[in-house]
Amino acid sequence: MTVFSIDVSDVWKSFKLPHQRQDTFKERFLHPFHHVEVEQLHALKGVSFSIEQGEFFGIIGPNGSGKSTLLKLLAGIYVPERGDMTVIGRLSPFVELGVGFNEELSARDNVRVNGALLGLTMRQIEERYDEIVAFAGLERFMDQKLKNFSSGMKVRLAYSVSIRVEFEILLLDEVLAVGDQEFQEKCFETLETIRSQGKTIVFVSHDVDAMEKQCDRVMRLYRGEIVEIGPPDEVIERYMATTHSMG
Amino acid sequence: MPGTRNAASEGVDLAYIGRVLRVVSVADFKLKYADSSLGYAWSVAKPLAYFAVLYAVFGRFFRLNLGFKHYPAYLLIGIVLWTFFLDTTNLGLWSFVGNSSLLKKLAFPRIVLPMAASMTTLLTFAVNLIVLAILIAIDGLRPALSWLFVPLLLLELYVFTLAISVILATLHARMRDIGQVWELAGQLLFYATPIIYPVGFLPRWAQYIAFANPFVQVLQDIRAVIVPQREAMTVAVVYGSEAARAVPLATLTIMLMIAWWIFKRDEPYLAELT
Repeated sequence: MTVFSIDVSDVWKSFKLPHQRQDTFKERFLHPFHHVEVEQLHALKGVSFSIEQGEFFGIIGPNGSGKSTLLKLLAGIYVPERGDMTVIGRLSPFVELGVGFNEELSARDNVRVNGALLGLTMRQIEERYDEIVAFAGLERFMDQKLKNFSSGMKVRLAYSVSIRVEFEILLLDEVLAVGDQEFQEKCFETLETIRSQGKTIVFVSHDVDAMEKQCDRVMRLYRGEIVEIGPPDEVIERYMATTHSMG
Repeated sequence: MPGTRNAASEGVDLAYIGRVLRVVSVADFKLKYADSSLGYAWSVAKPLAYFAVLYAVFGRFFRLNLGFKHYPAYLLIGIVLWTFFLDTTNLGLWSFVGNSSLLKKLAFPRIVLPMAASMTTLLTFAVNLIVLAILIAIDGLRPALSWLFVPLLLLELYVFTLAISVILATLHARMRDIGQVWELAGQLLFYATPIIYPVGFLPRWAQYIAFANPFVQVLQDIRAVIVPQREAMTVAVVYGSEAARAVPLATLTIMLMIAWWIFKRDEPYLAELT
């Protein structure tokens, strides 16, 4: 019997996009009867799939296809409008280029806040702190405010925290986009280890080469719907064909 | 009913919330005083400076201290409590909108954000209470057994302040000008509340309204306990009945219910709204 980590059944999500945002009193008072045109952006339209425990699952699709929305729904950051999702196990989410860092705080304090938010105890944070910093290669910068970090440094730190919390499922959104070659290689090494521990990885990326090499299955999304789920090489080949024919 | 079920995150983990509150409030504290050379001294200096100005204007110039033996203590109690209420609600107001990047990246019990904001001001409040205690001692007031009510009253004030913070923070996510509204409302409330003047200055009808506010009830109860007065104006005295103690408590309960309802309604959408 297969054990599921994630089970998504007929999930819908849309966002209201007012053509003219009306979120101040003045606008409401001055134009009380002014009808605001609200455009429904259907980010996901009835998505159903399952991910097995221990699977390395890739999600590809052009911008606006719903990949990040789906990841945020899995992470519990958004709630689905319709449909059900079951997530079995603790999550470590890495979305929007990392954990929620505060730019004005030192990197050291950011690690503490994020570690605690991700469920680490104080002792675990202190024990893992050196490892986190060493992996990110940021020993000399930890007392600096985060706003002085380059985007690559922030991603390294965020990824380093993400993989050192207690989790069974790792959600990764574009972690490789900003890091350099050396860091990308380090990432894949850790992903191998995580995988060998029987943990589940959901990986969203535009890096099709990485996806083809790493994933067990790949799901292709287009405009909020699943086009197909299958072996990486086949799905990616057809994806590349459509993007090129469209471009 | 659509929803996300996550076997790992069912139930509220109090130890988790405690840890998050601790790290977030320490971080907030550092943020607040990171780039200031006087640092924490400001949190004491601010209400004291406020006190000095108001005492000079209302105590001396308008001669409010003539009718009172302990006007300075009376005034400082008001200012310290008010500073706590206003600072907490002002900080709490931003606790969702200001932490948008956190809300968009992680799922965690959202209530910790307004709670953490209140932790920061609670620490400042504690320091201010020490300053207040010193002034009370200088003023020649001696502790009595009835002072034991004070912690209970402060707890009531804290719960009320937190309820208002949660309401403001949640509304702020939907309407950005709540910030402006509250700034103005804070000014109006300061003068509408008997902080610098005695309750007796208000017309009768206004006294009834004022005492429906838990802040006024707590303020007057604490003053009644600490500052000896011929007839302390508390909620029971103003309404002429001990049963009237239920009035501000009813307001407190209603505010808690509103806070809970509005927060529960919007909690799932905070990541989208901010």
